[in-house]
Amino acid sequence: MQLFAADTALHSANNGFVLISAALVLMMTPALALFYAGFVRSRNVLNTMVMSFAAMGLVSVLWVLFGYSLAFSPGSGPLAPFIGGLQWAGLSNWSAPYGDGQLSHGAVAFFQLTFAIITPALISGAVVERMNFRAWLAFVALWSTFVYLPLAHMVWGPGGFLGPEGLGALDFAGGLVVEMASGVGAAVTAAVVGRRRSYPQHNSPPHNVPFILLGAGLLWFGWFGFNGGSGLVSGNLASLACLTTNTAGAAAALGWMVIETVQRGKPTAVGVATGAVAGLVAITPAAGFVSPLGALVIGFAAAVICNWALQLKNRSGLDDSLDVLPVHGVAGFLGILFTGLLALKSVNPAGADGWLAGNLAQFVIQLKAAGFTLLWVGVGTFVILTLLKTLMPLRASDADERQGLDINAHGEEAYNTEFTV
Amino acid sequence: MSTLNIPGDGASETVARITESFRVPSQSRQRRFLIAALTVPAAQLLAAGFQPAHAAEAATVSGPDNLLLLLSAAMVLLMTPGLAFFYGGFVQGRNVLNTMAMSFVMMGLATLVWASFGFSLAFADGGAAQAVVGNPFRYALLENLPEVWGGLAVPGVSFALFQGMFAIITPALISGALVERISFRFWCLFTPIWLLLVYSPLAHMVWGGGLLGKDLDFAGGTVVHISSGVTALVLAGLIGARRQWPQSLRPPHDVTQILLGTGLLWFGWFGFNGGSQLAVGGAEIPFTTTHVAAAAGLVAWSLVETWRDGKPTAVGMATGAVAGLVGITPAAGFVTIGSAMAIGAITAVLCYVSVQLKVKLRFDDSLDTYAVHGVGGTAGALLTGVFASAELIAAHPAGQVLAEQGRAALVVGQLQAVLVAYGLAAGGTFLIAGVLRGCGVRFRVPESAENLGVDVAEHGEEAYAERVGSPQRF
Repeated sequence: MQLFAADTALHSANNGFVLISAALVLMMTPALALFYAGFVRSRNVLNTMVMSFAAMGLVSVLWVLFGYSLAFSPGSGPLAPFIGGLQWAGLSNWSAPYGDGQLSHGAVAFFQLTFAIITPALISGAVVERMNFRAWLAFVALWSTFVYLPLAHMVWGPGGFLGPEGLGALDFAGGLVVEMASGVGAAVTAAVVGRRRSYPQHNSPPHNVPFILLGAGLLWFGWFGFNGGSGLVSGNLASLACLTTNTAGAAAALGWMVIETVQRGKPTAVGVATGAVAGLVAITPAAGFVSPLGALVIGFAAAVICNWALQLKNRSGLDDSLDVLPVHGVAGFLGILFTGLLALKSVNPAGADGWLAGNLAQFVIQLKAAGFTLLWVGVGTFVILTLLKTLMPLRASDADERQGLDINAHGEEAYNTEFTV
Repeated sequence: MSTLNIPGDGASETVARITESFRVPSQSRQRRFLIAALTVPAAQLLAAGFQPAHAAEAATVSGPDNLLLLLSAAMVLLMTPGLAFFYGGFVQGRNVLNTMAMSFVMMGLATLVWASFGFSLAFADGGAAQAVVGNPFRYALLENLPEVWGGLAVPGVSFALFQGMFAIITPALISGALVERISFRFWCLFTPIWLLLVYSPLAHMVWGGGLLGKDLDFAGGTVVHISSGVTALVLAGLIGARRQWPQSLRPPHDVTQILLGTGLLWFGWFGFNGGSQLAVGGAEIPFTTTHVAAAAGLVAWSLVETWRDGKPTAVGMATGAVAGLVGITPAAGFVTIGSAMAIGAITAVLCYVSVQLKVKLRFDDSLDTYAVHGVGGTAGALLTGVFASAELIAAHPAGQVLAEQGRAALVVGQLQAVLVAYGLAAGGTFLIAGVLRGCGVRFRVPESAENLGVDVAEHGEEAYAERVGSPQRF
């Protein structure tokens, strides 16, 4: 506690900034629930939302018990670059100063927790309207422990294998840890769990598009905490991250609209929302390393490439129901590569120069890190699901799926009079 | 995710970088000399531009101030989805997506317009044109922003971001008068031009050191509410009423969406007004006045409704709260809490009268944009003059007016600013609409599209595909 007194004003500003950012990021999970819920049929809306809400409960508990410790404490022995130790289990160190003493561990642990919550929640979009809810809960617990925590340690933890003390990959706010991990995890989960019974013969339209827009609006708002807070200081870097975040989201929303207008004559509201999210995802790893102009490039590129990836997915037959792979996986991958391309040391001296500034090596590092994440998450998710399958069915029964998961998994309905099913 | 700082990238480094980029290795000596001769003065000129005017003060960034501004920026951004829901609830289910998309698209379009030239037009030094606009190239693409914005303790980037959120919601507000009939293409062409031609100059005149510098406008009564309200009035007049209006008045399709939108707007308004203090010190005044005025607006509107119709409506409470918030916007940091209460209540009553009048006059300002934002903004601007506390405006140029010429002069000054804003918004809107009409852009959707619903016609999608009557229902 001695350290705090040295610079109280700065400490309280940074600590406050990180705490508020954490609250913003926590709100992204209910926002995501709304975003996803708008897309599904009204007989599955509650189940879809609860898959996200359940992560808020489940992951928070794991985080206090051992999650923060495994991800962010220094490990020991040959495994140190891959996983932390258990010395901070129970978050007993909440009041200790973090890093150079401008923050407390409590603030950082809360902030990082909100990332750990939304990552598995993102995966739910790939398996809505059919997954067995009990299997989902078990999956979230296992996946968070065995896939997410080691990955977070490797990228952001002390001595991490991919981070600044290891390979040197740049990931400002979670392009690898959150976006690529959830996108790849979603694709594998969708493949293992299988398609919805009605897919693709019977394509059901979103039951409530205003929900999607509300979710997208709240996500955009929360993303300022997600990216802005990731610098862990309330200084110029936070300003830059907020500005690049907004710019990329805007550019991608606009780009997606233009693409739709060219391809089918009309821009859709769902397209504006999806484009914005794709742009926000793509800027995530880059937010504190590129200039606002770079953010513009990343936003437009995300719109073009994610739109293309989405159409490719639609033709592939993979029932990644709510496009987690194209919007999060591909956009996250794109963001990681563009960080390696457009990063500037003049923007952030703690970062690195990218390929355009003459440093091809950084681009190769980004590529390697992305490749490693793909393998790690792909194999990890597959193994977890294969083991889980021997213990319980991954899918709801056919009859339950036909009738809707809300009434069968939860015994309640979202709309009792207004909607017909 | 490490703790970092932005470099103190001085002007000299920038000059070096520019000179570097102009270096052409394998050219004749003469040509190289020519390039150098042209480059060096140009670079020096640019460098002078890069040097913030207040560099001598050697101000530093304050962490708490920056936190307030960034958080406020995020809160103001959330007001645009909030507005989309506020407006979306009022329209029919077959037009709700188009209504919301008009607001959402601003989060994309207006951001890019603002980042490219809008911010610079509004907040850069304008030289000879300083009274009206700033130099559009000085901060173009948000490059060359000072490490610390002049007179404040926040980075230039934070200031530009915060102000950009206002440029998003202002055009979005206009859409309320035009819903259920306007062509989406016209909307996407009109608003970027409007931002550059009307919004940025007005922001410059009031906040950027222009000719309305003595206008008391704390957070945008003139710049945001009057400009959007008047533009909405003019455009609604040019475009005309909805086909079925007012013969068949449809009730709002989802009042819960209106209430959700109001809640988000009220929350975001703390950032809108509170953040406009631009520093943590003293921000408690605009935060509190904002909240109290909204409450007074809500209660006043409900009381008037109860008196006139016997029952307070949920829609009325929402509209009253928004009216109170609009009224307090120009006054938030300049009045005491008690005055804020009066401003909120008076504004709400005036807005209520305007809404009734609009219906009597059969003018299809569909979602009361002029009646609430135009009238509320005007009332707020004048009431700011009436209620401004001498102590709180002492540092503002208007404080001198009050001290030397009395309160009447202050109110007349406010009125002058209001009139300039009316003229600029109306004139600019007529001009842009005229040019677009000259280019053959249709303002309205075809009659068939209006009957079918603009969601399907303009966007090819539906909000509630499962509802009875949907062509997509299965």
